[in-house]
Amino acid sequence: MAEYSRLAKGSYTVSGGTLGVSAPSVKIVNLPFKPDYVELINYTQAATPAQHGIPFAFWDASVPPLVISSVSYDTVIEIFNATPVLTTDMVKVGGGISVFSGGLSQQFGATQQIIGITKASPARVNVTAHGYSVGDTVIMQGLALATTNNMQLLNGVPFTIVTVSDANHFDVQWDSTGSNYTALSASPAGALVKKVLYPFLYVPEDNVITAMTLGSTTTVQTSMYSNLEVGQEVAFRVPSFWGPFQLNSLPNVIIPGSPIYGYVTSITDNWTFVVNINSSAAMAFTNNATMTAATLPGLTYAQIVAVGDVNTGGNLITATSPLYPSPQFPGSTNRVPTINGPAIRGAFVNNTSQGFIIGNAASRTDTSSWVGGSNGDVIEWRAYLHDFSSP
Amino acid sequence: MKISMPANGGTTCRFMRPRALQPPTVQLGNSGIDPPAQVPQRDIIDAQMAFFGTGCIINEQVILQDQEGVLAWVSERLAVAMRQAEDLILRDYIVSAASQIFAGGGSNGDNPTNLGVSDFSLVATTLDTNNAYKFMSGIEGENKFGTSPIRSAYFMLSSTELQSDFDGLVGAGFQSLWNYPSTMSGLPSEYGNVFNIRILTSSEAPVARGSSAKGSDVYYNSVLGKQAITHINQDGYSMNLIYRDPYYSGMLAQNATLAVKFAQAQALTQDTAIRNLVSTRLSSLGV
Repeated sequence: MAEYSRLAKGSYTVSGGTLGVSAPSVKIVNLPFKPDYVELINYTQAATPAQHGIPFAFWDASVPPLVISSVSYDTVIEIFNATPVLTTDMVKVGGGISVFSGGLSQQFGATQQIIGITKASPARVNVTAHGYSVGDTVIMQGLALATTNNMQLLNGVPFTIVTVSDANHFDVQWDSTGSNYTALSASPAGALVKKVLYPFLYVPEDNVITAMTLGSTTTVQTSMYSNLEVGQEVAFRVPSFWGPFQLNSLPNVIIPGSPIYGYVTSITDNWTFVVNINSSAAMAFTNNATMTAATLPGLTYAQIVAVGDVNTGGNLITATSPLYPSPQFPGSTNRVPTINGPAIRGAFVNNTSQGFIIGNAASRTDTSSWVGGSNGDVIEWRAYLHDFSSP
Repeated sequence: MKISMPANGGTTCRFMRPRALQPPTVQLGNSGIDPPAQVPQRDIIDAQMAFFGTGCIINEQVILQDQEGVLAWVSERLAVAMRQAEDLILRDYIVSAASQIFAGGGSNGDNPTNLGVSDFSLVATTLDTNNAYKFMSGIEGENKFGTSPIRSAYFMLSSTELQSDFDGLVGAGFQSLWNYPSTMSGLPSEYGNVFNIRILTSSEAPVARGSSAKGSDVYYNSVLGKQAITHINQDGYSMNLIYRDPYYSGMLAQNATLAVKFAQAQALTQDTAIRNLVSTRLSSLGV
């Protein structure tokens, strides 16, 4: 009875997190199918029993989550107690093992109340037990509407989270230190945030510019991962509200009708890169323009859009890469290959995928343990899609 | 534009777009010296081919006993699913890759606002200024009550949920398909036009639910020039309907399979000729 079953296994080394202290990074495993059963073996923690260690974990789509104190749990774990002896525990739905199918955009997670936003660069958002990780993309709404507070500019912009300082705070790429910004606090009514579930299905994409440094070259910071490559061709769309509209691809006063494009010459981090356009004579970028209650409706954001790509060939082969590497995203660090075959760097790429996620929520009883292990642990995963399941 | 990538051509479809040369507006004079040569340049645009497919396993007992001709209607549904997938992929790609103009001509005070006629004018002006090609030539007026000529136009792909908002613009610039001089000139999904934009509506147009500044639904109304986007299929692989007789399953040959697969890539081949006019909605939705 296995004619149409799907079986897959693999292993990886955990990135981030310290045993009993902090959570690891979320691990996404792409598969050619969406499994209905996943099990994990943490070889490192099985070999060296220690309190908070989780050597084994299991998740089954067919078993209804167990509800305890109004919280649903669906990942079963074996965990070492203080002795250390193996005992059992559970991880809440979505925080342990979960599956995903990223094939359609415009899907969002649950909305959460924003308690406040600090004047800072990057801006710090306060949400109780937000559950987000670095690299998650979120979108906010209901901030300082119909006021003169520039915090309203953060509404509707997709932000890929820069840092998660603790369980209740995360940072987004926006400089809110300007004189026209007033910190938000006391859980303003209607101030909400939600996760964009699949923000990078097609890369590279249009992106909101959050900061620019002008000069002989132009340094650009975007709200989401840029997903650009060195050598990629880009165009600016900057309404005059934001300043340097002179960089826009059109109009072109030298060659009428010919768009002005620049090339990415270096990538600083996942959000920041340098373009070879001399912007010395352009107006400075600002997000501190004086707002009125009527400024926001119809305000188009400054954007950068990929228009062409690297002319120098395919993906580079390194010591650890496959012989025919797939395009990778996001930008400069934490690069993850798409599930496609090889392509020329910077090509427009379909990045849809499915598989399962090993989350970074703490266990129910031992809240200092995480199913995803700790930095350097070796974890083997096995994923199944069964021909027959009862129920 | 739709093109086919030739077989054995690799994984990536490459487009070349020549850049304009500087027009020689300075006179030569009488020195007899040639002006310096210009360097011809081109832009390169690549799109990686991706493969898609789905299928059904049908037990032979169903094929034998079902009175509805199960293979026929499952084939039909698979074909529809495949064509929908083609459209949805292209839809999501356009939302992702094309730059945006936020509607500001509406009155709902949100960001973006609902669509006002000035938004249509702004987008058409932007595309005209960018030398985008219009899809349709105009329709000459005829001597019929309630009709008027239609301008040459770009297409806007929009949501059926905005139709009541369009109706609200009657008299302000919106003209229903039924007020065209000839309805024969309309497309099946065409709802009407505003100035230089003809509006095609679909229930599957892109909507980001509850993501405006005020938490309203955000609609991505893609306004396209003719040269903006290219849909690429793989030569000889645009649609495959695959039926495998139960004979090819296990030792008892119990299960047939019906499946579809296709290959598709897409690219913005002229980024200046497309904009997503992002808007919210003024009217309430029915349920």
